[in-house]
Amino acid sequence: MAEAAATAGAGGSGTRSGSKQSTNPADNYHLARRRTLQVVVSSLLTEAGFESAEKASVETLTEMLQSYISEIGRSAKSYCEHTARTQPTLSDIVVTLVEMGFNVDTLPAYAKRSQRMVITAPPVTNQPVTPKALTAGQNRPHPPHIPSHFPEFPDPHTYIKTPTYREPVSDYQVLREKAASQRRDVERALTRFMAKTGETQSLFKDDVSTFPLIAARPFTIPYLTALLPSELEMQQMEETDSSEQDEQTDTENLALHISMEDSGAEKENTSVLQQNPSLSGSRNGEENIIDNPYLRPVKKPKIRRKKPDTF
Amino acid sequence: MPLTGVEPARMNRKKGDKGFESPRPYKLTHQVVCINNINFQRKSVVGFVELTVFPTVANLNRIKLNSKQCRIYRVRINDLEAAFIYNDPTLEVCHSESKQRNLNYFSNAYAAAVSAVDPDAGNGELCIKVPSELWKHVDELKVLKIHINFSLDQPKGGLHFVVPSVEGSMAERGAHVFSCGYQNSTRFWFPCVDSYSELCTWKLEFTVDAAMVAVSNGDLVETVYTHDMRKKTFHYMLTIPTAASNISLAIGPFEILVDPYMHEVTHFCLPQLLPLLKHTTSYLHEVFEFYEEILTCRYPYSCFKTVFIDEAYVEVAAYASMSIFSTNLLHSAMIIDETPLTRRCLAQSLAQQFFGCFISRMSWSDEWVLKGISGYIYGLWMKKTFGVNEYRHWIKEELDRIVAYELKTGGVLLHPIFGGGKEKDNPASHLHFSIKHPHTLSWEYYTMFQCKAHLVMRLIENRISMEFMLQVFNKLLSLASTASSQKFQSHMWSQMLVSTSGFLKSISNVSGKDIQPLIKQWVDQSGVVKFYGSFAFNRKRNVLELEIKQDYTSPGTQKYVGPLKVTVQELDGSFNHTLQIEENSLKHDIPCHSKSRRNKKKKIPLMNGEEVDMDLSAMDADSPLLWIRIDPDMSVLRKVEFEQADFMWQYQLRYERDVVAQQESILALEKFPTPASRLALTDILEQEQCFYRVRMSACFCLAKIANSMVSTWTGPPAMKSLFTRMFCCKSCPNIVKTNNFMSFQSYFLQKTMPVAMALLRDVHNLCPKEVLTFILDLIKYNDNRKNKFSDNYYRAEMIDALANSVTPAVSVNNEVRTLDNLNPDVRLILEEITRFLNMEKLLPSYRHTITVSCLRAIRVLQKNGHVPSDPALFKSYAEYGHFVDIRIAALEAVVDYTKVDRSYEELQWLLNMIQDDPVPYVRHKILNMLTKNPPFTKNMESPLCNEALVDQLWKLMNSGTSHDWRLRCGAVDLYFTLFGLSRPSCLPLPELGLVLNLKEKKAVLNPTIIPEAVAVNQEAANNPSSHPQLVGFQNPFSSSQDEEEIDMDTVHDSQAFISHHLNMLERPSTPGLSKYRPASSRSALIPQHSTGCDSTPTTKPQWSLELARKGTGKEQSPLEMGMHPVASAPLSVFTKESTASKHSDHHHHHHHEHKKKKKKHKHKHKHKHKHDSKEKDKEPFTFSSPASGRSIRSPSLSD
Repeated sequence: MAEAAATAGAGGSGTRSGSKQSTNPADNYHLARRRTLQVVVSSLLTEAGFESAEKASVETLTEMLQSYISEIGRSAKSYCEHTARTQPTLSDIVVTLVEMGFNVDTLPAYAKRSQRMVITAPPVTNQPVTPKALTAGQNRPHPPHIPSHFPEFPDPHTYIKTPTYREPVSDYQVLREKAASQRRDVERALTRFMAKTGETQSLFKDDVSTFPLIAARPFTIPYLTALLPSELEMQQMEETDSSEQDEQTDTENLALHISMEDSGAEKENTSVLQQNPSLSGSRNGEENIIDNPYLRPVKKPKIRRKKPDTF
Repeated sequence: MPLTGVEPARMNRKKGDKGFESPRPYKLTHQVVCINNINFQRKSVVGFVELTVFPTVANLNRIKLNSKQCRIYRVRINDLEAAFIYNDPTLEVCHSESKQRNLNYFSNAYAAAVSAVDPDAGNGELCIKVPSELWKHVDELKVLKIHINFSLDQPKGGLHFVVPSVEGSMAERGAHVFSCGYQNSTRFWFPCVDSYSELCTWKLEFTVDAAMVAVSNGDLVETVYTHDMRKKTFHYMLTIPTAASNISLAIGPFEILVDPYMHEVTHFCLPQLLPLLKHTTSYLHEVFEFYEEILTCRYPYSCFKTVFIDEAYVEVAAYASMSIFSTNLLHSAMIIDETPLTRRCLAQSLAQQFFGCFISRMSWSDEWVLKGISGYIYGLWMKKTFGVNEYRHWIKEELDRIVAYELKTGGVLLHPIFGGGKEKDNPASHLHFSIKHPHTLSWEYYTMFQCKAHLVMRLIENRISMEFMLQVFNKLLSLASTASSQKFQSHMWSQMLVSTSGFLKSISNVSGKDIQPLIKQWVDQSGVVKFYGSFAFNRKRNVLELEIKQDYTSPGTQKYVGPLKVTVQELDGSFNHTLQIEENSLKHDIPCHSKSRRNKKKKIPLMNGEEVDMDLSAMDADSPLLWIRIDPDMSVLRKVEFEQADFMWQYQLRYERDVVAQQESILALEKFPTPASRLALTDILEQEQCFYRVRMSACFCLAKIANSMVSTWTGPPAMKSLFTRMFCCKSCPNIVKTNNFMSFQSYFLQKTMPVAMALLRDVHNLCPKEVLTFILDLIKYNDNRKNKFSDNYYRAEMIDALANSVTPAVSVNNEVRTLDNLNPDVRLILEEITRFLNMEKLLPSYRHTITVSCLRAIRVLQKNGHVPSDPALFKSYAEYGHFVDIRIAALEAVVDYTKVDRSYEELQWLLNMIQDDPVPYVRHKILNMLTKNPPFTKNMESPLCNEALVDQLWKLMNSGTSHDWRLRCGAVDLYFTLFGLSRPSCLPLPELGLVLNLKEKKAVLNPTIIPEAVAVNQEAANNPSSHPQLVGFQNPFSSSQDEEEIDMDTVHDSQAFISHHLNMLERPSTPGLSKYRPASSRSALIPQHSTGCDSTPTTKPQWSLELARKGTGKEQSPLEMGMHPVASAPLSVFTKESTASKHSDHHHHHHHEHKKKKKKHKHKHKHKHKHDSKEKDKEPFTFSSPASGRSIRSPSLSD
């Protein structure tokens, strides 16, 4: 008995040290349960004649016991639900035990065994309150055809909608503000990153990090980057093109749709800013007919072509 | 070419029609240019030319051609080897060890050197002897075929190679080469008669890598592979007679685009740029249509080519049937700002195709006609394309430019006449360069010359009407095209040359009007008119008393006599009056039509017939005058300063419909910072119908007015609420709308307004915090995602606005600028600049406009003391390999730094770049910027001004820039700005500080100046009687005479000069002639060649003509004997000069001193003597003219 108490005490101290870490009420509840189980295991061991036990084995046994009891509970609940009840009855337990291969008949005798130890009732601990996940909206009451014992409907946000108390940001100003600062942040982060990873120049001799300038690097063909629109711009242009098709009185970007028909016939005096974009289809067809000396095939050299004299 | 069957007799130049007499004793009819090898790696070119030439004088024994840089291997005439001499005095203008460094001297010598090779004076660098076997042939005036083999190695001018240093074949690397240069520069890449007046037909052949395309003038006849199939030869034929100076070439791996509207037009661009090319050229056909319509004449050539190349010499260069453009003119459809600029370039080049390429000029002094006509029809195109407002605005701008330039420098002369040698006054004595040749002109002068030319054409139009004007053009063109289709009638071809007199004759024939006074005023004379006007209203007589004064004594001005239009807007309407401006009448009485009574509710009629309601409360109750304008049509090249009351200017701004009037009133209102002016400007700003450029300038005026009114200003900063209303969101006024640039007018306004706002200052002379925050917000909320146009120019202007807001830092005892003491506002600005500049590296903007603005802004911060002044950043951006706009911006900052910090190191760095940079445009631009923003000027003490710098610059203009006319003239400009015309003040005084009369000079000369005595004596020897024998061959200019005798008279006297050379051409009677030795080498000046024309027996080679010095009895150095071409001053001048006083005053008077006061004069005079003695030191060396880079002093020459 004393030994058992000792082990129980040891276990208790162990859990105590654990409890230092967590002071959560739910944890406390579970720890108290477990402590009770350990006391049970210890007393059973004492009954069985052990004088002492290693902590690890007590733990293992506790674990086994807990699993066993849990399984009984779970199974019993299944049986009860199987028969469309919500509360398990004794028979459910019995069936369970039978199912688990336990000889139920031995139970009363075991309960009345003489050498059994009586342990004190576990301290009353409050069932932890499961925090309400979201107290969003009112749960719906059951409609009349659903018996009242059925579980309540879940919170409406889980299956109907989520009411939020703040208006979604549809305010133009805020959006612009957000877009602007987001872009700015991205740009700054990006350029800072580039500056950090590459060579930099600085306007201040004493400080090279506050305003780091990415070092100027000459290009081999500088006009290409300077003249060709960047990919971003190209993409943008395509987007705006499709979205603003109706606005295209302006032809700045219609170069690609030059009409060939205008040229063949008398060139009409289209104004600077108005060309007809619709005739672009005919282009390829006519290009073959164009007689331009630069499009002609290159001739093979004549066999006896008189070469200009060299020296 | 049917060269045969032409009767030689008909080609006698004496019979030349329409007064065109070729200065050359032969007529070129056809030229073949064949370049059969182009090596991009080594940047070399090998080829030959063949000129078909008909002599026009029986005794032609020498043929002079132009050639620079070319290495000439061999010359054959009709398959006979011919001796030749190559001498280019422009390689090194002054051959001096002297420390003289006098720009006046240099300019004269340079003009003389250019004359000495000027094809229009019958000269050339290359002189070929006609082999004696052919003399008989020549006497019969039969055809000569001159075949010249040449090569070109690493040309520094004329042909420009662009070879990017990346991996791959030349074609893959985008390597290309093109011809470039200013005026007649064709001689830089093949031997030719580099004159606009020598027309001939052409056959051009270029063998290039198979992956490349050679674009040249005329029709591409065929393209043929070479035998190894690795190269191909482009054969071009140009059957329209064309001057060599209009021949061009571009070779590169070009992408080819046949114009979809006009299949005979082909466009070329560098790889990858095809989409841009398509967009950029899609407009060209409309320009064609326009010109053909107004000129009622087809485009003269059978094809047209545009080539867009990198590292362009100039943005636009027009040549016969092709134009070479800078590739930076290409743009995509998203670019707004560049579009009109590029279109203008296209239109300009096309106008020059008609006038400049197809129609060429007789002589340099006729250049103004070509530039004038092409500029004028280009203006008509502008009017049609961009509207009358834009056109008038442009005319006004051009007028202001020319007026400012002429007032600053003292005049631009369109039609310089150098005849006779009688006039004492050099037509351009106020300038530091000669205007006798295009190659001696300052680039800025030439730009202004073109500007004035087209303005004068417009004046002619005003006089004779546009209809007649166009008829004249049509006549010129149809005459020319008739002439061009003539098979070979050389004298007909001169119809394709325009001359001033021919043009004027056409005008009088067509219009029947006499425009002689106009021509005399604006063409034969330089200067503009400066009017001062004021008025008073005489209520009793109901008369407007207008007083118009002129200033015609300041430099660059002239007196105007003749009609002048004045427009008076009265209550009852607008009335035009034509006043006669006469000698002594200053006051003009103009009767008014309306009484001063106010007709309530009555609308006021404007000039254009519109009737408007006006609030008349502001005006003077006694006067019916609303506003007065002098010369509203800009029919005089003038500047008008007119005084009228502020309310009149305000009425003019609000109600006058002419943009020029609005612009003028905006300028005037700057002086009237009143609430009424503010209101008028604000109203204009808001008025959408108003021309956008007027609104833009109203922004800046408003900023100025606000600053003047700062203590009384009420309400938010100027323009802020306006901008908010126009461009910001209704719901949140601090946030700008997302960009939508569909309306260009508001786009330009949106760009400009913040820039102007940033100029606002509060009472502490700081930019108001509110404004800075506003601009920063504009940048922050800028959102271009929904815009179909690029916002790069807009963002660039926002940075400009930030820069404008910067004010000088408050500095406590000159502390060093560090980050810690950075002003918080500046910190914000710097943050934006850093971010923008860094983003450019990742997402570059079109033409890197943002980088350019950032660099400028950084320089502003440096200059204002917020950031330590340091050129390192700019220098890194100025390196070769950055986009040219960036480089120029960075260089500008370095130039500015050089000036502000007086940094010798940076100045050296810039000078090195001028010498070594691969891009000619950048070299030119640095000189230009240094001239505009000089580190010091002639009257300034500066540590930078030292002897080494003088030497360096002298070297630069003397010999370092001989490959590029424009660059050399730029160097001359810089030298002038830094040191002035006379001897730079920082040079040590010459050894003798004596004050002497010239006559006494000899007595005190120390032994080191002996050559001077020689010179003097020699000059004496140049007496008229010996003159004919003294004709210099290669170098007609003064050389040997005393510097004092180098007078513009002598060096400018082209007439006499020509006669010299004609003299020289007479067949020598001495048997020595036949000793011509076949040119065994390309070396120049081999004595044997020089039998010369001297009839005096002499054992010495005569090319050197040292004969002149025989009489001196002095010893001469062998060098001098060998090399010295005698001064070829014309006879008439000599006669005159010999009687003239030798006093050095003489010199001064002619050149630059005559306006100085006596006192100063004396001082100068003293100074001058020192110069003289110095100058004389070097005279013996003045004339060594190395040919193809070889020094004359090579030993072979001295024996």
